[in-house]
Amino acid sequence: MKRLTSLALALLLVLAAMAPAALAEKDNWLHLFLTDNPETLDVQLTTDSYTIPLNCFDRLVETDTVDGVAQIVPGLADSWDISEDGLTYTFHLHEGVTFHNGDPFTADDVVYTVNRMMDPATLAKNTDIYYGVVAGAADFYDGNADSVSGVVALDDNTVQFTLEQAYAPFLSCLATPGGSIFNRESTEGVEDFGVNPAVCFGTGPFQVTGWELGSRVTLKANPDYFKGAPQIDGITLDIVSDADTQRMMFEEGDIDVFNFDYAESQLQWFLDNGYQDQIVSGSRAGTYYFMFNTTIEPLNDPEVRKALQMAIDRQGILDALYSGEGKVLNTFIPEGVLSHNDAAEEIPYDPEQAKAKLAEAGYPDGFDMEIAIMADSTTSLNVSTIIQSYLQQIGVRAEIKQYDESSYYDIRRDGELPSYYNSWSADFNDPDNFLYTFFSRKNTKGRSINYDNQEIMDLLEEARVMVDFDARMAAYQTIDDAVVHQDAITLPLYQRNHLFCLNPRVQGFKVAWNGWSDMSFYTISLAD
Amino acid sequence: MAKYITKRILVTIPVLLGMILLIFFMLNVVPGDPVTVMMKEHLKEDVVENLRRSMHLDDPFFIRYLRYVWDAIRGDLGVSWKLSRPVTGLIATAFPYTLRLAVCAALFSWIMGIPVGIISAVRKNSLIDHLSMGLSLFGVSMPVFWVALILQNTFKGTLPVSGVQTWKGYILPTIVLGWSSAGRIARLTRSNLLEVLREDYIRTARSKGLSRLMVITRHALKNALIPVITVMAIQISSLLSGAVITESVFSIPGVGSLAISAIKNRDMPLLQGTVIFTAVLIIVGNLVADVLYSIIDPRIRVE
Repeated sequence: MKRLTSLALALLLVLAAMAPAALAEKDNWLHLFLTDNPETLDVQLTTDSYTIPLNCFDRLVETDTVDGVAQIVPGLADSWDISEDGLTYTFHLHEGVTFHNGDPFTADDVVYTVNRMMDPATLAKNTDIYYGVVAGAADFYDGNADSVSGVVALDDNTVQFTLEQAYAPFLSCLATPGGSIFNRESTEGVEDFGVNPAVCFGTGPFQVTGWELGSRVTLKANPDYFKGAPQIDGITLDIVSDADTQRMMFEEGDIDVFNFDYAESQLQWFLDNGYQDQIVSGSRAGTYYFMFNTTIEPLNDPEVRKALQMAIDRQGILDALYSGEGKVLNTFIPEGVLSHNDAAEEIPYDPEQAKAKLAEAGYPDGFDMEIAIMADSTTSLNVSTIIQSYLQQIGVRAEIKQYDESSYYDIRRDGELPSYYNSWSADFNDPDNFLYTFFSRKNTKGRSINYDNQEIMDLLEEARVMVDFDARMAAYQTIDDAVVHQDAITLPLYQRNHLFCLNPRVQGFKVAWNGWSDMSFYTISLAD
Repeated sequence: MAKYITKRILVTIPVLLGMILLIFFMLNVVPGDPVTVMMKEHLKEDVVENLRRSMHLDDPFFIRYLRYVWDAIRGDLGVSWKLSRPVTGLIATAFPYTLRLAVCAALFSWIMGIPVGIISAVRKNSLIDHLSMGLSLFGVSMPVFWVALILQNTFKGTLPVSGVQTWKGYILPTIVLGWSSAGRIARLTRSNLLEVLREDYIRTARSKGLSRLMVITRHALKNALIPVITVMAIQISSLLSGAVITESVFSIPGVGSLAISAIKNRDMPLLQGTVIFTAVLIIVGNLVADVLYSIIDPRIRVE
């Protein structure tokens, strides 16, 4: 009998708990999710978790999206002068800015931030903003100096950078999350700066006030923000790893912004369940591409590569996988990034001509090749499978080889990864971020491209230090044309839209120009 | 008894050392440079070199193993590469969530499993027997993530589907995690009770004129539950370690979620730490089960 009673009691308990829970409270907080803990609050140590720096810190200059185009706008610096030779940058700082703990922001904080990044003991990952760019930065990092000689505070409100050589994208680089400015007073020598919200002070519109590991990060509005207090009281970032759970939380109103970057698999559900009107999209400055490893026969023959380029129906992939949300690209530089050439020659989809080209190149019966993908990426598998079937139509037998993540990166680093599909999105608005990253002498082997057009590689180095804007843009268009058309090193596929589903109460949401999933929520307000 | 327990504890020491060696070996022979993987799409040779040096990755394997064991003995499992915090601290923060969930699930499985097993045995071959055995078979066979998804879809709006900010957050994960254990316990209770009910002494008790209820509670259950209790003890350790999927689906910041995140991010120290911690839990759980068994059933204590 006793057991029966306990059984009944247990049942009652369960039933009682099923009584409707209180509906999600309508507060003035923006509720979002992350799929995993942020790596750290210290952006110098991460190339991955940008939500905290973008919302809690400021940079000397910022990139703003105006009509979908990226523009450099004042940040902590009101204005700046660039010397004619492009070597000296003088920033005039906004006066009266304070950190979250009340400390005033001065030029010395900028000097400290740069030195902290380049101090090898910091173990920073975002070093390339300054390394080899700011005079003396590489020396400090490599142990040949005690500080970065190229950054000096002229007075409390003026800071000057001297570059090793002219580098046009410098301002854009300073505007990336890695350029966030720290407070010397509260950061120097503090070991748990990256993990303890109580000691993490920026100047940004929000302040990190809580981080319950694995469950929630809380950002509270900074009422003293120098550009004006945010219109919301704060942001909660719940850590939810499961895509279906994320979607159900959105349905219940527990999440205000559903970012499809984190849960692509859920898009169809939203489209099928009447959420079309709540979905906002914006073009994203990123290129999805297919890259040839030019040392693997017969892909070392440019004519063969050109034939493969023609064999793939890129619009077909876009339609099949993403209901056409995006745009086919004929350049490696996507729309939205400087020097993008809208008038570039079109790469036709023409399997017949592709076949003829192959026969001309000596492969009338096609050949065998490999496509490399990372084992746990369903998107890569889907796209690669479609590419495989297009290649089949011209007689090329492509085998999809799956690698686990570490072998993939390891083999790629040695220049031996077979041809692959992947994507790259803009960190900053400059063609250097695309072309140098892939086709320069420094990087081409590490990405298993093994490009060897010396003339173009020289031009790539020259373009970096050009001061004349128009000449620089022209140079990048030449390079883009070379790698896509003349040498056919890569097949740019398309650029895709960045999709979000918004709770109707969210106002002032702006899709950022760049390619990151993380963004600033400063402009958002919430309707009642 | 004390001698028996001491002996059992001593046996676990080489088991633990061997296990650490095995885990350390397995995670270190995986091809690929962890720093290169950490940097993903970013190629920065200078950074990679600096990080490798600071993480002692250039030292020989055996030196790293000895250093690890030496540190582990003193309770230091290294620093998580991704979260840059001590692994022991991370596990200590996460474990209470896992423990709470495991205890809830265990209680749920006992409260549901034992009575259902008894009723099924007593009403053998009745509708209620078939129904409850069918349900337990279902619980044992269905994949956890699927059950979780179905329950989330059914109860969204009335119960939280994510997080454990309130106690209500534990309800669905408890059912998901406890269901299959409950099924196992119900089936075990039923078959043991049925077997015991056929024994001679039960017939004797019945013929003494004791009521059926009396016979079952006083005589039959006592013996039928011995194997069930051992299973219950082992089960707690497996609930503690088996909650990985449940934790991940319901966003519970426990040890399982840590392990998943460590795998995704190739965070070797954290992965090693969670695996070793879980293994220790299982060893301890089995030890407790063995000791418990020998206390309840003196026949087990081999001289």
